[in-house]
Amino acid sequence: MRTYRKPVAAFLACLMLMLCSCAFAESEPVTINFWHHYSAQSAENETLMNVLIPAFEAENPGIRVNAVSHEWAELHDKVLVSANSNALPDVARCDIAWLPEFQKMGILVALDEEMPDFAQVSGQLLDSAMSTAVIGGHYYALALNTNSKIVFYNTAMLEAAGVAVPETMDEWCEALRKLSGENANGQQIWGWNEPALAGWNICPFIWSFGGSLTNAEQTVASGYINSPATVRAVETFAALVQEGCITGFNAGDIPMTDGFGTGRYAMMLEGPWKSAELAGAYPDVAYGTAPIPAGEGGSVSVLGGEDIAMFSTAHKEAAWKFMQFMTSEFAETEMAKCGQIPVNKAALESDTVKGADYAPFIAAIETAKARPTVAAWSEMDNDLTVAMTAIVTGEKTAQEALDELAAQWDILLK
Amino acid sequence: MIPKSRVHRAQLALLLLPGLLVFALFTVYPILRLFWMSLCDMSFSSMLSQPFAGLSNYREIFQDQTFWIVFVNSMAYTLITVPGQMVLGLLLAVLLSGIRRFSVTFRVLNYMPVVTSWVIASLVFRYIFNTEGLLNYFLWKVLGVTSSNIRWLDSRWGGLSVAMILGVWKGIGWNMVIFLAALQQVSKDLYEAAEIDGCGGWGKFLHVTLPGIRGTILFVLIELTIGGFNVFTSIKMITGGRPAHQTDTLLTWMYYKAFSTGKFGYAAALSFVMALTLALLAIVQFRMMRSRDA
Repeated sequence: MRTYRKPVAAFLACLMLMLCSCAFAESEPVTINFWHHYSAQSAENETLMNVLIPAFEAENPGIRVNAVSHEWAELHDKVLVSANSNALPDVARCDIAWLPEFQKMGILVALDEEMPDFAQVSGQLLDSAMSTAVIGGHYYALALNTNSKIVFYNTAMLEAAGVAVPETMDEWCEALRKLSGENANGQQIWGWNEPALAGWNICPFIWSFGGSLTNAEQTVASGYINSPATVRAVETFAALVQEGCITGFNAGDIPMTDGFGTGRYAMMLEGPWKSAELAGAYPDVAYGTAPIPAGEGGSVSVLGGEDIAMFSTAHKEAAWKFMQFMTSEFAETEMAKCGQIPVNKAALESDTVKGADYAPFIAAIETAKARPTVAAWSEMDNDLTVAMTAIVTGEKTAQEALDELAAQWDILLK
Repeated sequence: MIPKSRVHRAQLALLLLPGLLVFALFTVYPILRLFWMSLCDMSFSSMLSQPFAGLSNYREIFQDQTFWIVFVNSMAYTLITVPGQMVLGLLLAVLLSGIRRFSVTFRVLNYMPVVTSWVIASLVFRYIFNTEGLLNYFLWKVLGVTSSNIRWLDSRWGGLSVAMILGVWKGIGWNMVIFLAALQQVSKDLYEAAEIDGCGGWGKFLHVTLPGIRGTILFVLIELTIGGFNVFTSIKMITGGRPAHQTDTLLTWMYYKAFSTGKFGYAAALSFVMALTLALLAIVQFRMMRSRDA
């Protein structure tokens, strides 16, 4: 009997050691990498680093978060490059326009397929914001924050021209004509500033005039981007450019904020960030805000914002917990204090949000539309800019350019 | 007994090995990898699989209307800025080599644009040439030679011209320094002999100076041609390719295709088209200089 004692003791010791090591391995914290584009010096980053991440790590002792701040464009490029070197983060805050590209690369996790409680989590978020994460019938992200654009108008310029804030597209055209010309100093002034001719800029006009870009399934553009309503929207816009009522997209134009702040641009369509910019650069300028004027399609602005997505190489369980936390009422309310418009329905009801400067944007978000969630959108957007440039410079008619654009888009959407 | 020459060769090989390894890893491998990428379909849908696509990227480039616009832009930029910098740089070098006082001061002043940041210089040029910029203010409000603001930056050739002026302004100092060094090498005896033969100032420049610095001219020509095709920052900062890629150059277009549309295969192929063009231009330049030698 005694002869067995030593081997049994050794076996039991080994077993204990193994169990201990397993227990130790389980308690070893998982580190998830979170890439985002909150500016390193911003209030949002302060909140993330000093409030949200500590709170999340306290709630989840086994998970650590390594948050890395990138410039907006740099983050997009870095994800592309990292996908090739298999060095992706676990989670990233992505511009809604990037998701289709990343999904097509096959680097995103379809959350509705892999996370059993997805419906419950996404049900707490705004449907319009969640629509930006749907690609091919599956959800590849959670909406994180949203924004849209509304009209900013220079009160003094409108009063001087005797123009009321336009509520319809017809009134808008008339207002622009009255607001454009020369000011008392003999300087040229414009009724409207539009800093580019891309989808982010042109879509609100197309949609509000009743036009569209593609069919609902986002598979065909012919008959939509060159429909009579779209052509009418683009023709109206181009005519106002040629009459000297709209500018801002040329390389030599006065930058938007400077032009608005110095009374050279009477109106512009901009997002919630513009209030802070104006407060910093032109604190004395008196301005008001209003929804985009309604046309045959209603008052439809463009949806912007960010989603939080999980990459295929992620520690999925930990990453999912972090994503849930970042879209929770607590995190969204904290971020709302820094100017981020929440998408969590409970956070939207909070006093913080209701009393915020960006409250007028929330109404616009309810009717705003997202740009097509297709991987080819970058190329389509470029084609749209090229076509719009040809139209506003008079090189092509709206019908000609949009017919050509429709044919190009049909190929890209295949 | 191993022969001495073989030991010597082995030593040489060992000494060269680290350098060759670094060269192979950081120059040869990336070039080969890039060439392979140019033969693959690398877009958003195939970024990870990278299927072989043959010459389709090259075909797409030559069928792309925008490529021809940016190619012509790069050629025009090079054809104008290279002679511009060389002529003005050489002129300054000749003038400076002839003065005794304040020579260093003038050299420093003329070299300052070279050390100025491209971004800062581009922004300053943008403010000068903006529709409501400094130049229009002077032309209209001060001198009264125009009756309205001229839209310098809003058209293809207007925007490119501003980038070209910046390119020439920024490059003169570098050319001046190189040519000043070359001028020191031309023998004084030749100038004296030319003078005895009855050559004036222009004649000496044409028959002594220029042949004496031919090697430097070729070096500068090739360097500047490569630099001309590599123009990027000024275009990005001054026009951003507006209107609708009309002022883009090969490099800004390549960057746009790779990082905005995810077409890395197309961008890789474009880099080879550009390298090939530069190689052809270098051969032409060598031939031209050699035929003058003969």
